[in-house]
Amino acid sequence: MSTILDLHSHSEASEDSRAPLEAYLNWLKLRHTERPLDGIVLTEHRQFNRDADYRALEDKFGILVLKASEVETDYGHVLVFGVTDEMTRRFDFANVRIPAQELIDEVARMGGVAIPCHPGRPNVGLCEHYEKKPPLENVVAVEVLNGGSRKGEDERSETLARSYGYGTIGGSDSHLVSLIGLCGTRFDAEVRTIDDLVCELRGGVYEPVDFRPPRKVVPHAVAVEVK
Amino acid sequence: MAVEYDPALIGRVFETTDPVPVTAEMVETFCSAIGETNPLHIDDAAARSGPYGALTAPPSFAVTFRNGRHFFEHVPRFGKQGFDAGKDVEFCAPIRPGDAIVLSSHVKEIYEKTGRSGSMVFVIVRSTLKNQDGEVVAHVDHRFMNRT
Repeated sequence: MSTILDLHSHSEASEDSRAPLEAYLNWLKLRHTERPLDGIVLTEHRQFNRDADYRALEDKFGILVLKASEVETDYGHVLVFGVTDEMTRRFDFANVRIPAQELIDEVARMGGVAIPCHPGRPNVGLCEHYEKKPPLENVVAVEVLNGGSRKGEDERSETLARSYGYGTIGGSDSHLVSLIGLCGTRFDAEVRTIDDLVCELRGGVYEPVDFRPPRKVVPHAVAVEVK
Repeated sequence: MAVEYDPALIGRVFETTDPVPVTAEMVETFCSAIGETNPLHIDDAAARSGPYGALTAPPSFAVTFRNGRHFFEHVPRFGKQGFDAGKDVEFCAPIRPGDAIVLSSHVKEIYEKTGRSGSMVFVIVRSTLKNQDGEVVAHVDHRFMNRT
């Protein structure tokens, strides 16, 4: 049984999002045909709320809700899955200059997985940093589909992943209710817990999936001479 | 700590304004300026039979109250340039003509983040608005972005 998860989303717990979790889940339930997700992962900016319990909402909507974090490093932004107390003691998640290589290695040692997100994005993506610094080691996967990407950014991410042989994931990076689930990741295996997710990201079979509607082609304006 | 500042800044009220009287004319002018059509804010008779028993200002009226002239002397700056990055308003009670509103302000939060355009430090200043009865009518969070 396969599982489709949006691996990158922000609720109102992130300072730049206004999206309540309940509204996300309601939106996904109403739009299940277009965005057939089994669950989402909340990756709040620079924080991890160990005590947040979303089981009541999961039961209400029948959609899995997992918790992770998006942290900021000297190689750009990184999603951390399987966050533990040991990790939050080891790294100050509010620090926007966490050493990426240390993060990747230590998170792996502590039982999680750290995945660079939107690598094609200027300044906060891996591609730009790889032009100036040596590539990171032990990268399991990168996010090649990001719902917030601008033109060309996902393509740059895809090229990077192919060049280095990284696995690939997708996520909406949603900060607004209507954007949840636009991109996701399909796993061959069933994923029901954060441990399942970490296990699959480390060694399972998965691929990014894109539920964004095709962009409308807007014809170029033609200049008309006014007499 | 991600960004360096004096932690004693956080939560300390640095400014309290004199009471600002709210007049019916101010509310009327504001409603006219924003195109308000809700009778609770523009029609005296309708408002009297409404839930508040009298005219009230539209919720967004809360952002019209200005901080004092020394406000920016107390707000820490980072980097060389910045701008107003928006406001969040929590509405607690209606503001009515005849009220006298006092603002008190403190630095609520300082944090750093990185984005497409570079590094930024955000300073959030919270102004609490109280009426003449000491009732909190709104909290306004002013978000200032500093480019570092």
